[in-house]
Amino acid sequence: MAKDDNSVRIFQGLLILGNVVIGMCGIALTAECIFFVSDPHGLYPLLEAAENDDIYAAAWIGIFVGFALLSLSVLGIIGVIKSNRTLLMVYIILMLITFAFEMASCITAATHRDFLTPNLFLKQMLERYEKQDTDNNNDKLMSEGVTKTWNNLMLQNHCCGVHGPSDWQQYGSAFRSTHSDADYPWPRQCCVLDARESPINLDGCKLGVPGYYNSNGCYDAISGPMNRQAWGVAWFGFAILCWTFLVLLGTMFYWSRIEY
Amino acid sequence: PQLAAPQLATSNPTLTTVALDKPFCMFDSSLSPNKSYSVYLYAMMESAVAGSSPVTDHGGKALNSTFQQTSGGRLSPYKAAVFSVPNCASPPDPADVGDVNKVADVLKQHLFRVGDDGTCLYDPNFLDVCNPPLAPDTTYRFKYTLVDNTDGIMKDQTLWSDPIKTRRVKLPMKIDTWPGRRSGGMIVITSILSVFLFLLLSGFLASVFSTVKGLEDSSVETRHVPQTVQHGEPRPQEGSE
Repeated sequence: MAKDDNSVRIFQGLLILGNVVIGMCGIALTAECIFFVSDPHGLYPLLEAAENDDIYAAAWIGIFVGFALLSLSVLGIIGVIKSNRTLLMVYIILMLITFAFEMASCITAATHRDFLTPNLFLKQMLERYEKQDTDNNNDKLMSEGVTKTWNNLMLQNHCCGVHGPSDWQQYGSAFRSTHSDADYPWPRQCCVLDARESPINLDGCKLGVPGYYNSNGCYDAISGPMNRQAWGVAWFGFAILCWTFLVLLGTMFYWSRIEY
Repeated sequence: PQLAAPQLATSNPTLTTVALDKPFCMFDSSLSPNKSYSVYLYAMMESAVAGSSPVTDHGGKALNSTFQQTSGGRLSPYKAAVFSVPNCASPPDPADVGDVNKVADVLKQHLFRVGDDGTCLYDPNFLDVCNPPLAPDTTYRFKYTLVDNTDGIMKDQTLWSDPIKTRRVKLPMKIDTWPGRRSGGMIVITSILSVFLFLLLSGFLASVFSTVKGLEDSSVETRHVPQTVQHGEPRPQEGSE
């Protein structure tokens, strides 16, 4: 019996360790998802206008799942120490529900990352940047959001367009309908600006003289943060779920062996 | 006339403008030292070649046709610009482009942008040579002529340039935003997590069933015990009454 006792104690210890890890991962998941939801790069309006903002939905789910994991891990530790069948049954059922939610969050983040292609942002930029004749309030808000975001992007990252300034030349756009090509082959923000935010040489910028306009595209500045967010939520959640899977299997086995 | 050097003007031609190199050292053989000359730039659509493409009248005097008179170069060439003869002896150094103070000069002396002025067509007070934007997706040809300032007679001219076509616009609606294949990471996550959930649910059901079965087994054993206790209990009660 002593040997049995020992192995039971070891198993209990393992389960408690597993739950401690789950609790800490839950805190980390909450913190990471709060960081992503706070949108430090200001890219949310682009996704909102593209109606493809589900990686933010996945991050929101991640916040609440993190809290749930933390509280359930505490419940699990108490249940394992007391070897209480009811507590452990409640723990298992709630953990299964949390597992399902986190699984949804991971799959959503991974799937919707695939939709964020350069063409998506290109089409949205051409159709919404500086769009003046908006159909309704929603359209107006989204277009303003896109315009502000692109202006920030171009100014901070010294870039122009998605692939480059040639985007403005190759395609028609809402911008082109209000700004003539002779004066604005591309927006003023594509020019190299001085401290007072006016182009250092307007003719050089219009002609495309190297050094007076920004010749690289903004796609890297957009896709970098989005990738980090999507992969951060998806893969970290996946890792937590792998660990949770093992702990849950162990808990179910432990629960079925508890004598009344 | 040729398109401006690609190192200088990277986006050329655009939808409505064309940047041309100024005629360096092209007219020097015709220059007399004591006279002043100007260079006239004529532009016309390639479709106008079928008719006549005159840049002078019968007396050899340079024509002053405008953009409006020729319907934007559709009927015959129009005068797009007048500027002084470029200095062949000391051309501006293209390397000076990097210097912010000198770049305006270098650009002005080195090239000319046809279609630069978007407002002169609608400005009733504009008296200079109007250089309005060109039409998109149209082929144009250009010619430089050397004109004597005193009598307006054309002294020399270049050939008509090669056809230069302005850009064409693609509709943004036609951009295909379909992402294509799913990424490998997404497939891994989805499949593995689905398998995990299935295993967890089946494990949950298995443990519940095994517990229920264990309870049934133990309740079958304990059913015998209460029967013997029940027979035993009422007798002491009867005895006490």
